[in-house]
Amino acid sequence: MMQKQDDGGDKKITMKINNQEYNMVIKPHWTLREVIHDKLGLTGTKEMCDKGACGSCTVIADGRPILSCMKLAIECEGQEIETVENLEVTGNPLVEAYANNHAMQCGYCTPGFVMTAKALLDRNSNPNVENIKDALEGNICRCGTYPAHIGAVLEAAKKLEGGKK
Amino acid sequence: MDKKKLGIMEIEPLVHDRYCQDEFSLIGKRGVSRMCGKEKAGGRAEYTRDVQLPGMLYCRILPSPYAHARIKSMSTEKAEALPGVRAVLRYDDPELADKPLFGLETKFNAGHLPSDGQAFYHGKEELAVTLEQWKQGAGRVLDGVAWWEGHPVGAAVAADTPELAEEALSLIDIEWEELPMILNPLDALKPGAPLVAAEINSKNNIIRKLKIEHGDVEKGFKEADKVIKFEGRRRPYTVADAEPMSDVVLWRGDNVEIWAHQQQAYDGKIIFGMKMGIPLNRIKLHVPYQGSQFGGGGNPMMHHTHGVHIISGLLSKRTNRPVKTFYNRRDNFYNLSQDADCHTTFKVGFKNDGTITAVKIDNICGKMGQYGIDHLEENTRIPNLLLNYLETNINVAPAYWFRCEQNHNALCLSMVFDHVAVELGMDPTLVALKNDGVEGHDMEYLSKFKRQHGFPDRDSLGEAIELGRKAIDWDKKWHEPGTKVLPNGKLHGMGFTWTHEWDDTRGTACAGVIMHCDGTVDILSQKSDDGLNAMTTHCQIVAEEMGLKLEDVNFRFFEEVGFQMMTPDGSCNLAVDAYCTRNAAREAKQKLLEYATTPIKLIDITYPPAFPDNYPDDLDVNDSVVYLKADPSINVPVAEVVKRATLNQGGTRAPLFAWNWHRQGRYGTEKGRHRLTRQAYFCEVEVDPGTGGVEVKKIVNINDVGKAISPETCEGQQYGGDYMGAGRALGEEMIYDPKTGVKLNANLIDYKVFTMRDVDTTVNLLLETGMGYGPYGLNGIGECIATVVPGVIGAAIYNAIGEWVDDHPMTPDKVLKAISKAKAKRGGLK
Ligand code: FES
Ligand code: FES
Repeated sequence: MMQKQDDGGDKKITMKINNQEYNMVIKPHWTLREVIHDKLGLTGTKEMCDKGACGSCTVIADGRPILSCMKLAIECEGQEIETVENLEVTGNPLVEAYANNHAMQCGYCTPGFVMTAKALLDRNSNPNVENIKDALEGNICRCGTYPAHIGAVLEAAKKLEGGKK
Repeated sequence: MDKKKLGIMEIEPLVHDRYCQDEFSLIGKRGVSRMCGKEKAGGRAEYTRDVQLPGMLYCRILPSPYAHARIKSMSTEKAEALPGVRAVLRYDDPELADKPLFGLETKFNAGHLPSDGQAFYHGKEELAVTLEQWKQGAGRVLDGVAWWEGHPVGAAVAADTPELAEEALSLIDIEWEELPMILNPLDALKPGAPLVAAEINSKNNIIRKLKIEHGDVEKGFKEADKVIKFEGRRRPYTVADAEPMSDVVLWRGDNVEIWAHQQQAYDGKIIFGMKMGIPLNRIKLHVPYQGSQFGGGGNPMMHHTHGVHIISGLLSKRTNRPVKTFYNRRDNFYNLSQDADCHTTFKVGFKNDGTITAVKIDNICGKMGQYGIDHLEENTRIPNLLLNYLETNINVAPAYWFRCEQNHNALCLSMVFDHVAVELGMDPTLVALKNDGVEGHDMEYLSKFKRQHGFPDRDSLGEAIELGRKAIDWDKKWHEPGTKVLPNGKLHGMGFTWTHEWDDTRGTACAGVIMHCDGTVDILSQKSDDGLNAMTTHCQIVAEEMGLKLEDVNFRFFEEVGFQMMTPDGSCNLAVDAYCTRNAAREAKQKLLEYATTPIKLIDITYPPAFPDNYPDDLDVNDSVVYLKADPSINVPVAEVVKRATLNQGGTRAPLFAWNWHRQGRYGTEKGRHRLTRQAYFCEVEVDPGTGGVEVKKIVNINDVGKAISPETCEGQQYGGDYMGAGRALGEEMIYDPKTGVKLNANLIDYKVFTMRDVDTTVNLLLETGMGYGPYGLNGIGECIATVVPGVIGAAIYNAIGEWVDDHPMTPDKVLKAISKAKAKRGGLK
């Protein structure tokens, strides 16, 4: 879709975030993370490294997990974005599975892990331990919660599979 | 009042909690979902970083571009003229004249002062600079002199957006006078070395000297069959915490609100109040969720802990707007907790049976290092110990330790024990057991102490070792150093080390428990959640003690409510704090049963209680239902009991409320309060002889936690520590440009935090001997693991290659060198 440009270099774009249309005027240098977190107040999308190293700002854009701190918002014209806040709304079992498995400590990195896991389950609803490690290995957790994620993702996968039957 | 009756307030810090309950319904149970879990996983948990208020301004503080420099002149005109900039605070503004960064002297931070704090147990300390100088050395809240690259100095700017604040910083013109700088503690001690902070010490670069002596090491070396010497180095590493620092301050007339990203937020409130001359009851403190900090929140010398509140506060006062001061990732690397550079030499004497007779440690550290001898003092029967400690000033931010301040102490213990075991060709677990004891005394002495003070008398180390040997298959897998090559060509190594748990059960805390008229309960106390699951565990305890359903109890952590906990959600979490929630819960339960049995007489009407013909003792509570012990079929829900008492007629009784205060010991290390529980660590590695790369195949921890309130939470601390410990062992290091003092890897790409792939398997077992000083016989777990894992990985690498790499982190280049050395020794190197 063509991006309209206004006089100040700002751009008018449309995005669908968590199934809602957003029409926004944004600055060309704003990252998607800034727009989601700072402007729209969807604060679950966290900034830890601001350099594409940690995965805590992960959102799903047109079905793919992306690092929203490394993506300019203007590149997302017309895209469908899903943030972590959507999971409870849609009843995704990951949130509860994470709580049950204590797959967090301070929790700052957790939404990023959850979104990476969501993207994994979207493409593979029955992952094994190696698949989970492959998917989550790019996320940093300073509290070192790594082993607990595996149980959480397996539990959620089981519930999703169960739901399919 | 009769003055004679005012005695000394006694404390008994040594006695075991004699609360002997065998059956618990919630405490220690697995499968209790984490209460903060859904909020965190669902992205609804609010952190300071997320706080946005109407009209909020964003503040950035100027980081010094030099490792040591003075501002000669500064022009802020251009920055002030930038549209959207609302205020610029300068280091020479009169509001800052009386604002040293250092906290409120000994009154509030005694435990952290160099001359008054940790050294008191150890006795003699010789300060090279006076305390007054040291305080000045922390500088002012916003200073005109920088002691390290990135030091927040000169000016702070508040603007409409973060970008404008950043841009305004770049418009400040400063003429700097560059001053000489030194990064390495050894260079700082060389004769004729330039002064790294002449402003506080114009004679030399020494901060303090300390000598700790037990017994007579010379005599101990003479008694030894063998004496060895070796050197170790622990290079500086940093917290790299998850949530970059920020705070928000809103000044409204005579009142102030603070949103603090700080583990000891209440200390910050006190310091803010005193320095700004505002009464504490005019300050409202909000403590949102905290991205991991691991303890470094309290040091008054660290800018981010208290300095930022004052800067935000002054700017908010000037602008009448809420001000958020925020660090970026690089600022966080500059200024948050890190561990000091330590150069250590060891001399160890021992007998052929493994008995260590003497240890001498000479340790030279960068500013605010660690002694290196504490665990040998507190954890062993070694009779002769000597430490010479020298702390130097250098041009890096002061160390403030994280997870935990025992890092170098734990590493030194591991090095001593593992070197001795290797020299003797002895199983290291046997050497540990041979020397286990306390403050120079043997296990018999310790057993007597336990019995006298009501503790169970179990052999914590013996039990932990037995569990660990089995879990890692030690007897089959441990081998002679440098002898096992795997089919994949890698060198296989096994390691063992041990220590005590760093028992942080000293301190003071208070909490309240209040029941609403629907029978639900709030725990009231200051609580800053940074990941220890304090919310759930305190609720478990209160629910257990009151007989309530877990879902009927909540921990009101977000707002500070006037009750203070000792480092809420930190080292002292359950070990100190749970005494008061438990005791308050017991009192509240007693009141509940009184409410259930006491009629309420109004002038012309009497309300019967739920159990009109009974006494409180006849009743008990289970699952949020009050029942008659003699006939449980007669029961009334708690909600109904309190509704009668507190809701009818708009409340016919006082609120059902109880609070408790607890003090145990003083903060710091305490003589005569012996370490009773032990921790054993095992590890298996594979070393690539071609690259020097080390793969951690398995870490096994056995931690004696006394009593686990939430086993999953303890395990979380265990594997969390495994990954951080492995990172410290193999990768984490702050690297500075030696010519300029600029940090070269102040980001999460170049600074190596370990990920899911960096440790293959962790096995974490809990031992529960009930020998902790905390309630239910528990002690803390969070401090221990990440401090000890580097030592056990070091031992495993030795076992794999047959040569020590005592320079941590043990990066592939160092491991390769050691492999070459090992080959040369065996004559096998071409
Ligand atoms: S904040 Fe985006 S990857 Fe770290
Ligand atoms: S839970 Fe704290 S950073 Fe991951």
